[in-house]
Amino acid sequence: MGKSNSQQENPITGGSFDVCDLVELEGIPIASELNDNIGFLEQMFSESSDFVIRRFQLKNSVNAAAIFVDGLISTNEVNEALKTLMVLEDGSDRIEVIEEVLLPVSQITRVQDYKGLLQGVLSGDTGILVEGNQEALTLGIRGADTRSVNEPEGEAVVRGPREGFIENIRTNTSMLRRKLKTPRLKMKSLIVGRKSNTNIVVAFLDGVANPQLVDEVTQRISQIEIDAVLESGYIESLIQDSEYSPFPQVMYSERPDTVAAALLEGRVAIFVDGTPMVLLVPTTFWMMLQASEDYYERFQMATFLRLLRYLFLAISLVTPALYVAVTTYHQQMIPTTLLLSIAAAREAIPFPAIVEVLIMEVAFEALREAGIRLPKTVGQAVSILGALVVGQAAVQAGIVSAPMVIVVSITGIASFTVPHFNAAIAIRLIRFPLMFAAAFLGIYGILVGLLIIVGHMASLRSFGVPYLSPLAPMSVGDLKDTLIRAPWSEMEHRPTSLGVKNARRINGEFVSNYHRAVKVAQERKEKERGRSDE
Amino acid sequence: MNNRGKWRGLTRLWICVASTSVLLSGCWDRREVNDIAFIIAMSVDKEEDGKYRLGVQVPLVGSMGAFSGGGGGTSGTKNYYVDSAVGKTLREAQAILQSRMARIHYFAHYRVVVIGGGLAKSGISKPFDIITRFPENRLTSFVVMTEGKGIELLEAQPQLERFSGEALRELVKAFTIPVSIKDVAQMISTPGIDMFVPVFKPADTQPKGNRKEVEAMGLAAFRGDKLVKVYKRSDAAGIRWFQRYFTPLSLVVPIEKGWISAEFLKGHASVKPVMKQGRIHFDIHLYSSVFMPENMSQLDFNNYKAINELEKRLSEEVTNKVTFILNESKKHRMDPTGLGAAFAKRYPKLWENKYKKNWRKELSHITFRIHSKVEVTNIGQITNSLMKEGQ
Repeated sequence: MGKSNSQQENPITGGSFDVCDLVELEGIPIASELNDNIGFLEQMFSESSDFVIRRFQLKNSVNAAAIFVDGLISTNEVNEALKTLMVLEDGSDRIEVIEEVLLPVSQITRVQDYKGLLQGVLSGDTGILVEGNQEALTLGIRGADTRSVNEPEGEAVVRGPREGFIENIRTNTSMLRRKLKTPRLKMKSLIVGRKSNTNIVVAFLDGVANPQLVDEVTQRISQIEIDAVLESGYIESLIQDSEYSPFPQVMYSERPDTVAAALLEGRVAIFVDGTPMVLLVPTTFWMMLQASEDYYERFQMATFLRLLRYLFLAISLVTPALYVAVTTYHQQMIPTTLLLSIAAAREAIPFPAIVEVLIMEVAFEALREAGIRLPKTVGQAVSILGALVVGQAAVQAGIVSAPMVIVVSITGIASFTVPHFNAAIAIRLIRFPLMFAAAFLGIYGILVGLLIIVGHMASLRSFGVPYLSPLAPMSVGDLKDTLIRAPWSEMEHRPTSLGVKNARRINGEFVSNYHRAVKVAQERKEKERGRSDE
Repeated sequence: MNNRGKWRGLTRLWICVASTSVLLSGCWDRREVNDIAFIIAMSVDKEEDGKYRLGVQVPLVGSMGAFSGGGGGTSGTKNYYVDSAVGKTLREAQAILQSRMARIHYFAHYRVVVIGGGLAKSGISKPFDIITRFPENRLTSFVVMTEGKGIELLEAQPQLERFSGEALRELVKAFTIPVSIKDVAQMISTPGIDMFVPVFKPADTQPKGNRKEVEAMGLAAFRGDKLVKVYKRSDAAGIRWFQRYFTPLSLVVPIEKGWISAEFLKGHASVKPVMKQGRIHFDIHLYSSVFMPENMSQLDFNNYKAINELEKRLSEEVTNKVTFILNESKKHRMDPTGLGAAFAKRYPKLWENKYKKNWRKELSHITFRIHSKVEVTNIGQITNSLMKEGQ
């Protein structure tokens, strides 16, 4: 709207501009008449009580205006800046002079169009418009209230850093920068969302991450056209390869150390403003089963825990299905005394095993959901109710059998051993079709189901990386950080499946290059000394 | 778009094929555990009119304690019951039984098959056909014999186990030579070895209680599939040395004006057949390892010679036991120790051509020599009885 005639006549002067999104303001220049600008802004932000336009005069009596959003700025510091302009500094009315000479503000940007100006102002900057200038300044004096850095609740550790990301993207990137103090850490900035204009930062390690991967990630994000991005889940959903798979192909973490470690492996991190969850791509299935603590603990313990997790992953996936299959089709597989106990417990149960397991599993899922959603004070009541009603009373009333309660609780506990919540969700969902397969076809059905699942997982790709790598396709060298966790001295190379450029991680070329350079320098010095002796 | 349409068609076809195949499959063998009658033990008897009687022992799971709500209507203290039926074949008998049981018979969990004395005498191979043929059956279940009616053993009500079938299984494993259905089949079908099974009988506790226990009585030796003779526990001991796995036994030996209990923990026989002037001779070496838990004799174990004497006495005893069994097999022309199989291993051609067919006849002409070696490895915590006066 109005873009075509912007060259001849500034469209904002006519007063014909409707309220619109920032994208549509791209290339709309700032008028040199202050009144035109103020009129336009007042029209745009009519009925916006938090948008402030503060007219003032520079010390040399030139009209100017400061625009900001109340609550996003740090009032004291904006006052300081205005004081400088209004009281202290007597000089030019030219914007570049104000920027370079007059204003003692560290973060200051000169903008030409309204998109840039309003982008800054709506993010918390303070805009300065000066009569007779076709440019404006944005002062990065932000002061919105944010949550303080806390221990991440979703990924608690016993050993390891206890800081977690918060909702402010700059704080988050700073936390990453603190971990990786190198110019190689790059952070590309992008903005997504017509209404939300969410800041997104794509972070990667230059020289480690595959540049094609970085390009692919940036391209996929910049192609997103959406109203608003309220959480990184929007981005995840829009950039992943197979939206309809239950398996998450993008991992998230709220731990700076996990993100830093992922970058060091050659992955790319996507920070989204407004959420503490940082996305990591490409993601493999095994990443979901690894906790950051694995790398901090002694390797024997970490290996044991990993194996335990794999075991319990299998348990949480197949136990209910296996119970149904074995008790309804393959009774010969159960030891006689156990079978008699099961039969005794099931004697009064009116439902077939599959109905019984469904009652219990659904009840358990409901309990779990209730436990998460309810306020903490009510949570305890829910857990007592759940334990009493679903556990004991249901058994005593003869609705479900005691072995079934055991099966369901083992399954529940097992699903909690998966360190990353969204992988656990996939397992929780897949359990149900497996139960039906078991009820229809017994163990044969379970095997068919598992084959379909494994086949599906093998066909998944996350940004070009096979979901099951390094197990399928097999790359033997990477297995020492998959099935087990080798001691750090053995993990010399970064994972190869990501196509990293600089594969060595420790004892690397840098050290040997350094030593070689020192040697060469010494030799040269000696040669020169010899020459000068001659 | 075109490509996608083609795939969609294929997918539909596949879904159709897959779903019909599920519906078409006739084998819909879903059985809930509470629709099944688990048969814990069964007995096979031969009736006087030549028909077979099949007895089954079924646990009443509803009355077995555990965590059940109401339900499971049973009365009395018994938590199993025994029923039997007669038929020309075992399957017929089973069908009759099934027609008065509300739950489907499930044969994959029986622990023992009890052979009645009458059946054993007339030959067991006919009823064993279904036992080995029917896929639900377990070849690892044990076979025992009783001299009376097999079903009497099922009706016994042991105190320690919930069912007599379970008690039989535990006893077979612990105190007799365990013989499974698979072993029976192998022993019947292998020439050069004859089958034997442990013998049990229902016994009263003393003083007499209101329940009957099952007691291991000894061993029944067969020729082919027919019973020849039942041996007492101590008489049949010699067979144990010839088994692949020696099952421990204890013997009481008279020595030095008293008795000594000897617990044979390990035992092994190596049988070496030799052809001597056209006759078959067996050199049998027996090794045993013994723990002495009780000394009621005058032997003084402070003196190491006492151990030598005991070992000597024990090896005589072992020789006697084995000799008894071998003489019995010569006498009755049966081969429970598997001498024929040992001979066949050593002289395969000779066996095939000459002895395989009339091995039983040949058995009465064989000679053997027994070399027994016994090691007393453990005489307990004390050397001399604490009760004895110091000398």
